[in-house]
Amino acid sequence: METDNKLKGRDLINVGIYGAIYFVILMAIAMLGMIPIFLPLLSVLVPIIGGVPFMLFLTKVKKPGMIFIFAMIMGVMMLLTGMGPWPLMTCAIAGILAELCVKRGDYRSAKRAVLSYGLFSMWIFGNYLPLFTDYDGYFAQRADYGQAYVDAVSKLMPLWMAPVLLAACFICGILGGLLGRVLLKKHFEKAGLA
Amino acid sequence: MDYSSEQSQQKRRGFLDPRTKLAVTLVLAVFVMGGLGGDQLRYIKGVLSALPFLLLLTERQWRRFVRGAAMLAAGYGLLLAMPYLSGILNYLALFCGGILTRFAVTVVMGEYLIATTSVSEFISAMERLRVPQSLTIPMSVMFRLFPTIGAEWRSIRKAMLMRGIRLGGTKTGQMLEYQLVPMMTSTVRIGEELSASALTRGLGGSTRRTNICLIGLRIQDYVLLAGCLFTVIVWLLELCGMKLW
Repeated sequence: METDNKLKGRDLINVGIYGAIYFVILMAIAMLGMIPIFLPLLSVLVPIIGGVPFMLFLTKVKKPGMIFIFAMIMGVMMLLTGMGPWPLMTCAIAGILAELCVKRGDYRSAKRAVLSYGLFSMWIFGNYLPLFTDYDGYFAQRADYGQAYVDAVSKLMPLWMAPVLLAACFICGILGGLLGRVLLKKHFEKAGLA
Repeated sequence: MDYSSEQSQQKRRGFLDPRTKLAVTLVLAVFVMGGLGGDQLRYIKGVLSALPFLLLLTERQWRRFVRGAAMLAAGYGLLLAMPYLSGILNYLALFCGGILTRFAVTVVMGEYLIATTSVSEFISAMERLRVPQSLTIPMSVMFRLFPTIGAEWRSIRKAMLMRGIRLGGTKTGQMLEYQLVPMMTSTVRIGEELSASALTRGLGGSTRRTNICLIGLRIQDYVLLAGCLFTVIVWLLELCGMKLW
């Protein structure tokens, strides 16, 4: 069989399908982030639950570039939903890392797929970046949520939380990847999707 | 050149070009919802916030207009009622009001964008912007699938409710698996059918696709694009510490 590494229409449509599922799940969980206590927990919940569609997506990935495009689209969607330009940057970095990781395993290794999802999940940290880079500015913008909200969030998010959140994204990404593998074996292979 | 499908396209042509809609959505998302920019931008933001409602009126989308206006009114109502409430209610009113007033405008704009732009219009506008296919195809598939996923999720939730699989029910733990897995399975199946139909019509082919949609910038587009540019310039000047008024 001839190996053609150029992305075809079908590959791009697949990126769209799984991107849509991932994004809907992301948004459904992100709505919880309105409640202050869930804001740091998003870096736990999103990687774990998002792992299911992403691992299914990785079974369709056979050519370089698809994961990077997936990540960039998440960045663009974050821009459109008002998260600012930071996620675009973290998406680019996380996308390249995840892409390289799977490429090393020749797009077949299951271990590398899990690791790659951990790396990919680190893009979520970009959504927290405006908080940590400009602490006062962030709360000034959200003053209309009320002082109680600002107090609660600033108590939950001291500066030392930044590396913790980044690590949480990565670790929970790996957990989410493992969960995705389990569900893949249990359901999707039976249904003939993976 | 007087065949009927061209005339029908003429009739269907929206008030704005998709590129303008996208630019306005982006500016609204970043400045109004994202809350970027300080005092200098306050009045501009006020004008920008009225824009999506006016656009819905020009396209005669009455129901969406009423829904958006109700959302905004509820937000301001909560903010007005806030001083008369006490304790936790006060906090809740302020919080929900803050979120509603901040999000309503951009949500309305997003609804306008999706309701009035067909996938072909979107793709041909993106082609003229020289956006690579690797970005436009996944994006248009996503926007096509969002309503489908919503509908699937709703009916799956109803079916699972019957078996007692819901938040607070007896099988909360299984909720994730029993709702997520069917939702994904059916979405992927629908997506595969969609992909087959799109490929038959030459999406992602090696030659340039033509299409019948009439798009192009007109006076109203230039006015709005200039408005967007103006907003960005004012913001940049503010960043450099210049005061305009």
